[in-house]
Amino acid sequence: MMKHFGWRFGTGLLCLIGLALAQASSDIRLDLKAFRVVSVQEQSRTVERLEPALDAKPGQIIQYQLTALNTFTSPLRQVALVIPIPPTTAYQAQSALPLRLGDTLVVPEFSFDGGKSYGRPPLKRKLKVVENGKEVEKEVEVKPEEYTHARWVIPQIEPQQTLTLTLRVVVR
Amino acid sequence: MKRIYPILLAALMLPGLAFAQQTPAGTNISNQASASYIDSAGQPRTTTSNQVITVVQQVYSFSITPDGSTTTPGQTRTALAGAPVYFSYTVSNTGNGTDTINLTLAQDTGDNFDLTGTARYLDANCNGTLDSGETTPITSVTLSRQGTPGASACVIVAGTIPASATSGQFGNLNLVGTSAGSPTTTDNNNWARAIATTAAILTATKSASPSGPVTPGSTITYTISGANTGGSAASGVSVSGLTGTGILISDTIPTGLSVPAAPTGSAGAGTVQIVYSTNGGTTWSTTAPAFPFVGNGSNRVGMFISGSGAFFPQTASYTFSFQVTVPTNAPAGTSYPNTATVQYNDGTANQITTSNTTNNTAASRYSVAIGGTGASAIDGADTQTIATATSGSTVTFNSTLQNTGNAADSFTLSLGTSTLGTCTILQSDGVTPLSGPVGPLAAGATYNVVVRCTIPASQTTGGSVTLTATSVNNPSGSVGTLLDGVDATTLAVTNVVLGYSLDVAHNTNGASGGEGSDPANDTRPGYNPAVNPGGVAYFPFEVNNTGANPDTYNLTANLPAGWTALFYPDTNCDGVMDTPTPAPVSSTGLINAGTIACFIAAVQVPNGAAPVDVTAGTNDNVQFTATSTTLPSVSDTIAGAVDVNLVAQVSLTPNRSGTVTSPGTIQYTHTLTNSSNAPATCSISGSGGSFGWTYQYSLDGSTWASSLSSIAVAANGGSQVVYVRVLTPAGQPIGRTDINALTASCTIASTTATATASETTTVVGGDLRLTKSAVSYVGSSSTVRDANAAVALPGDQILYTVVAQNIGTGNLTQVVVSDPLPSYTSFVSASVSISGFSGTVLYSTNGSTWSTTAPTTLSSGQTLYVAVDTNGDNTITNADILPPGATITLSFRVQVQ
Repeated sequence: MMKHFGWRFGTGLLCLIGLALAQASSDIRLDLKAFRVVSVQEQSRTVERLEPALDAKPGQIIQYQLTALNTFTSPLRQVALVIPIPPTTAYQAQSALPLRLGDTLVVPEFSFDGGKSYGRPPLKRKLKVVENGKEVEKEVEVKPEEYTHARWVIPQIEPQQTLTLTLRVVVR
Repeated sequence: MKRIYPILLAALMLPGLAFAQQTPAGTNISNQASASYIDSAGQPRTTTSNQVITVVQQVYSFSITPDGSTTTPGQTRTALAGAPVYFSYTVSNTGNGTDTINLTLAQDTGDNFDLTGTARYLDANCNGTLDSGETTPITSVTLSRQGTPGASACVIVAGTIPASATSGQFGNLNLVGTSAGSPTTTDNNNWARAIATTAAILTATKSASPSGPVTPGSTITYTISGANTGGSAASGVSVSGLTGTGILISDTIPTGLSVPAAPTGSAGAGTVQIVYSTNGGTTWSTTAPAFPFVGNGSNRVGMFISGSGAFFPQTASYTFSFQVTVPTNAPAGTSYPNTATVQYNDGTANQITTSNTTNNTAASRYSVAIGGTGASAIDGADTQTIATATSGSTVTFNSTLQNTGNAADSFTLSLGTSTLGTCTILQSDGVTPLSGPVGPLAAGATYNVVVRCTIPASQTTGGSVTLTATSVNNPSGSVGTLLDGVDATTLAVTNVVLGYSLDVAHNTNGASGGEGSDPANDTRPGYNPAVNPGGVAYFPFEVNNTGANPDTYNLTANLPAGWTALFYPDTNCDGVMDTPTPAPVSSTGLINAGTIACFIAAVQVPNGAAPVDVTAGTNDNVQFTATSTTLPSVSDTIAGAVDVNLVAQVSLTPNRSGTVTSPGTIQYTHTLTNSSNAPATCSISGSGGSFGWTYQYSLDGSTWASSLSSIAVAANGGSQVVYVRVLTPAGQPIGRTDINALTASCTIASTTATATASETTTVVGGDLRLTKSAVSYVGSSSTVRDANAAVALPGDQILYTVVAQNIGTGNLTQVVVSDPLPSYTSFVSASVSISGFSGTVLYSTNGSTWSTTAPTTLSSGQTLYVAVDTNGDNTITNADILPPGATITLSFRVQVQ
C-alpha cells in the first residue's frame, strides 16, 4: 500500500513538472527569418531572389518570413501572430498577404500605434486642425510606411500544423 | 543548375519612397515576432520568436555646391590680371556613414585662360576667406554621416588670373569630388569662372560667428566685409527710397531668424547709413523697424555707403555687421544659409557682387521625458499608481516615452530595483520584450512603453519600480532636471492583496457549491460513518479556489495512528464514488480561480482498531487539509467523525482426546484466544462429564481449581493456555469414554462472548500410552511458527515428539516406536531419549535391522523405527523390556518441501 502511495505521489509530481514546463516553454514554436530581396537579370528576364539578410542598405527591401508550428497535442484557438515593423524600416504596402486556411481567409491587420490597436487598411488617424478659426477633428489616412506591426488572427491551429506568413519592409 | 547571369545584381529599390534621413550604417535592424493564443486549458498565453538582426550597410552619397557648368558657372569672381581669386564650395556627405571625398580640380579648354597656382583649402570657419591657419592645401575632406555635425565642410579653391589676361577674358575651373568608399560616386558639375578686369571690383566676404551648429536660442553675428580690389575707383548706384547714389550692401535675414537690434558698419570712404527693406529690396528706408526684425524672406538689412561720382577708391574697404537670434524651438539640423550682395558701379556698368554663403544649422538638443499615458510624456519625477493588485498576478503599466529634444534620438530604458517582483520592459504591443534602445524617434515623437511585473505569490505589501529613460546621444542628466537626457517615472501598486485562498467544505448536498459559509462548513454534524475494523469511511468534500489565481492544492489527512486515507476525484460532485473508481490523487490538479473541484476522502480503518464512538462536530477524529502548492501557508482543513464498531469474538481450541488407565490421570491443554478489538475478561468452567470423574483447571499447570475466573486476555489475538487434568477413579471399564464440555465466558467492553472446547477421554487397559505432538518453526530457525504445527510454510521445519510410556503396572516387551516420514516433507534428523530405565537406543528403517546410530536420510514414505535394547544383544527381541512408568521419547524433525 505504501509502495502504491509513493507511486501515486510520483505521478502527481511529474504532472506538476509537466505543467511547469508547458508554461515555461511554449505551445507554439515561432521561427522568424529575414531575407534581402534582390533582382537578378536572368536570360533577359528580371527575377527576384531572396538572400539571407544579414545586412542591408537603406532603400533595400527585407522580407520577413514567420513560421509558426503548433507543437502541442491539442488545437490552439485565437492565435494572434504578430510581425513587428522595425523602427528603421517602412512597411511595403500590399506585401503582407492574406493566409488561406481551408475555407477561411485570414486577412492581415495593421497597427500604427505600436501594437496597441489594429485595423484593416486604410487606417485612419484623428487629427485636430483649425479650420475657419474653429478647431475640428479630422480623419487622416495613415500611410503604410507608418505601420508599426502586422497581425494575423487565426481562429484555430491544429496540432502539428505549420503556418507561414511574410511581409516586406524597406530599410529607411 | 541554372546559370544566373549577374549582369545586374542590384537590390530592389523603391523609387517613390524618400526618407528624410537614412538609417546610419552599422545600425542593427532587429525583429522578433510574437504570438498570443488560448491554450487547451483555456488560459491566454503569449510566446515570442527568435530575434533576427539585419545590419544596415553604408550607402555612399555626397554633393558639392554650388553647381555650375562651363556655360553657366555656379560662381563668378572678377579680379585684376595677375590677382588671385577664391571660390567657395560646400561639400556635404548625404550618405549614411563616414566617407572621405577626394577633391581634384579641372581646367576648361573652351575658355580664354587657365588659372595658375590652383589649390584647395579647408575653410574651417566657413567665412569664405582664406584666413591664417587655413593655408595648408588639402586634397580630400572626411565627413561624418548625414545629419550629424561634421557632415559638411567648406572648401576654398584658389587660383590666379594670368598677368597676360586682358579685361573681359575668363577662365573656368571645376572642383571634382570622388567618394573614397565608392569611387564610382562622383560630383563633377561644379564649374566656377574667373574674369579679368581693370574696372573697380568690390569684393564681399561673409562670415558667421559662430559658424556651423548653433544652440537654439543663441545669437549669430554676421559680418560682411570687402574692399575695392579693382583697377579704378567705384561709384554708387541709385536705390529706391534712399537719397543720392551709393554702394548698397544688402542681406536677406534668413527665415526664422530675428535681428534684435540695429546693425553697425563702417566704410573707408563715403557716408554710412543703416537701411532696411521689408519688400525684398524693392524699396529701402533708413527708418528702423520694430525689433526684433524677423526674417521672412522679404525683410532685409543693409548698409548704404553714399557718395557722388567715383568716390570709393582702390583698396578702400567696408564692414557691415548685425546679429540674429536662433529660435528656441528650432528643429535640429534646421539650416540657415545666408548670402550678402554688394551693388555698385564699376565706372561703366552697375555690378552686383554676391558673397560666399554662410550656413549655420540648429544644433541638436537631446532630451527625454517619460511618464504618464497621454499623448505627451511628463518630464521630471512622476508616479503612476495602481490602487490594488493581487499577489501572484501580473500588473501592466503603460508609460509614454517622448523625445523632447529637437533631433531624432534613441533611448535606453532600464528598471530600478523592483519591490513588485520580476518586471520586464515590453514593446508597445505589450508582448514583445524590448531589446536594445527604443528609436530613433523623431523630435517630439512618443513611444508607448509597457512594463509588466509579476507580483510574488507571498507578497502582501505595496511596491514600486522605477522606469528610467536615457538618451543615447546625451546619457547625462538627472530626473529632476527638465529637458535633459535622463528622466524617470515610478510605477507603483499601493495595496497588494494576497491572491491565494481556498475553502474546503464538506459536500453535504451532492452538488458543487451551495455549502454553508466558512468556517461553519469545516465540520459535518450528524454525519459519522461507523465501520468495522478493516472497513472504509467516506467523506465527500469540495475544494473552492477563492483566490485570484489558478492554483494546485496538495491533499493530506490527519488521522488516528495506523489509519490511512486516500483521495479520489469526484468528477460530477455528487458525493458518490465514480464508476469505475478513479485512481487516487495526492493533489487537486490545477483549479482556476473561482472554481470548485470535488473529491472523496476514503479513510481506511486498520484491522484490529479499537472501538471508537465520537460525535461529529464535537470530538471529530479525522481531518483533511488542502494546501496551496504555490503558497504553502495557504490551506484549509475540515474535520469529520468516524465510529469504529465493537467486534466481540473469542475461541477455545482445540478439542482434545486421550486415553487413560483406571485409575489414572491425563492432562490436556487448550488455547483461549481473544479476536475482539477490545480486551476480554473470561471465566472457564467445565461440564464435568457423565461419570463423576474429576476435572481440574489451571492457567499454569501447577495450581489447579474446579473452575477459573477473571482471566484477562488482550485484544486482537491475545491468548491464554488453559490446562485441564482428568483424574479417573479405579474400576472404570475399559473402553468407557467420557466427554467434558469446556466453556469460556468472556466480557468484552459492553458485550459478552463465549467459546467452547471438549476433552474426550477413553479408558484403556494399563499398557502403553503413545502421544504425539508437533511444533512448526520458521525455516530452520528456532522461532516458533505455530506451537501446534497447525501452520507451516514451505521451507519450515516441523519437530514431531512421540512419547511412549508404560502406564501399566507390569513390564512391556519388544516396544518399537515407529513413525513414517509425512508426505511432502524431507527428513532432517531424529533423536531418542529414554527415562525410567536404561538400555541402548537402536534405530531401524525396516523394523528388523537395527543400528545404534540414527539414519541420516529417509526417502518419502519410509518409516523410522526406534526401540531400546535392554539385554545388550544389539537387536530387539521380546527380551527387551519397558518397565512401568518408563518412557521412550522420539524427536523427529522434518522440513516442508
